[in-house]
Amino acid sequence: MHSCARFYPRPADPPAPATAEDSVRAAIQAYCEAIFDTDRARALQVVEEAIARGMTPEQVVFEIVVPSIDRVIGELGPAVGGSLAQHFMAAQIAAEITEAMISRFQRGPEIVGRVVIGNAQGDFHGLGKRVVIGCLKAHLIDVVDLGLNVAPERFVDEAVARGAQVIGVSSMMVHTARGEHGARAVRRLLRARGLEGRIKLAVGGAPYRFDPDLYRVVEADAWAENGLRAAQVIQALIREVSP
Amino acid sequence: MTTAVERLHAALEGRPADRIPVFCNLLDQGARELGVPLRAYYASGERVAEGQLRMRARFGYDNLWSLFYVGKEAELLGDAEIVFAEDGPPNVARHPLQSFDDVARLEIPRDLSTHPALAEPLRCLRILRREAAGKHPICAYVTASTTLPALAMGMERWMGLLLSGPADVRDELLAKCSLLVQRELELYRAEGVDVLLYASPFGSTDFLPYPLVRDLVLPWVERDLAPGGTAGVVYYGGGARLGPVLDLVQARTGVGAFYLGPEDDVAAAKRAVGDRALCAGVINDIRLIDDAPATIRAEVTRIVAAGMPGGRFMFGTVLMPFGIPEANVRAMLDAAFELGRIARP
Repeated sequence: MHSCARFYPRPADPPAPATAEDSVRAAIQAYCEAIFDTDRARALQVVEEAIARGMTPEQVVFEIVVPSIDRVIGELGPAVGGSLAQHFMAAQIAAEITEAMISRFQRGPEIVGRVVIGNAQGDFHGLGKRVVIGCLKAHLIDVVDLGLNVAPERFVDEAVARGAQVIGVSSMMVHTARGEHGARAVRRLLRARGLEGRIKLAVGGAPYRFDPDLYRVVEADAWAENGLRAAQVIQALIREVSP
Repeated sequence: MTTAVERLHAALEGRPADRIPVFCNLLDQGARELGVPLRAYYASGERVAEGQLRMRARFGYDNLWSLFYVGKEAELLGDAEIVFAEDGPPNVARHPLQSFDDVARLEIPRDLSTHPALAEPLRCLRILRREAAGKHPICAYVTASTTLPALAMGMERWMGLLLSGPADVRDELLAKCSLLVQRELELYRAEGVDVLLYASPFGSTDFLPYPLVRDLVLPWVERDLAPGGTAGVVYYGGGARLGPVLDLVQARTGVGAFYLGPEDDVAAAKRAVGDRALCAGVINDIRLIDDAPATIRAEVTRIVAAGMPGGRFMFGTVLMPFGIPEANVRAMLDAAFELGRIARP
């Protein structure tokens, strides 16, 4: 990860702002275009320019980054064929900018909730998980990444130890999605330990996209077809169990 | 009596035959058939050949696969750790390239025919040829140069390098991968393979935006295919949709067959390639685990009805997960055989 100082220098003569609303609208438009083009450098430049025009780090996150993710979800949905690369870049850039901006917030940000996330046991495909993590961070959800090939017991133990509201299990292969050592096992453990009222279970990955009913088969509470949507789904699950 | 090879050639050339070709890939199921664990199965070319011949004989589909598992190609790129499961395909737990610096040290094997990682697959292929050459199309699987780096270094690292990493490292890796692809294609042709499934997920708009497919991926596809041409090559997106790139790929490469993704619009794909190429309509076979036979038949009906008009069409599968009940495999294939019959003029 690069330092924010590299990406957000304040130019000597920032361009004259239009109205504040026009400025935000233009920034969102330019940021989204950069995401669609998988142009990381341009997306970071948009943020630099917004800061140069006087936007605060809080405004950058809440008025550009987060709304742009939500807009990208709509415009890169399955109907229009958004690519994996666009989702990947959207998530990475959003997480990168959010992390850089948070360090400059006037007050510490209010974290929405906490998720432990990892790939099911036997699964070594981490890209989808990484997209999800990027989107969660951009939505100010704290993420504990357990990595690849995670045993079901570890998912539950870590969720309890970290006070997480949601466990996210990613599987890119049919047998790791449906098998006895993946989400099903996590569900059994949550039930056996009486944790179902406190910790929700979300799943994702290609098998779920090709069979939207599969999340019910493995007894998950929810699934998401891509990382961008996962941020919304997981926020809703956090709300369900938050006091 | 029409052989499966004749049936495939008829479909490729737009001539009538008894029915459309029906391709299926019951790879891991061969181990169950022989009653051996997957690790032991894939350690022996004789076993895999025996498993594949038995699966084809039992279910009656047209083709035979020399492919062991997709991660096998990672073993051609260096020190890869393959993890075996009991209920699904092996996958790559440790990739040969652990950093961008490793790209410079990557060496592409000069003679693949003597490479240890291909010893058993070639043994399998030669048995399949001995038993079925000229009767059933024998298929090999070659991953495109722009997708091969995902096996070499993992998807995350490759996506990062491709989209925002140093261009010189990216291009060096692609050049080396393209050399491997060229050598694989040459080897399989020399070994008498009929169908070369060229797996190019990064050459689909499910993976990359259209401008990147056009400007970055297609030149490498052209380079991969340049030495040996496109004879026998089938362009495959690894289950991704090909619809938005069919025109482009066909025009730039002259590939004569496309293996669509389950989410592709078959009729639209056929309109896009016209009489310049064959299209394989492909079922979402993940659903075969839970769907009822009647539902499966309805899905085959939909695909075949969309694809058959105008000819140059075949039916195929993608993953065929281990957990599909045998009755559902039969329901799918019986429907494809029956509904794919071609009325003679």
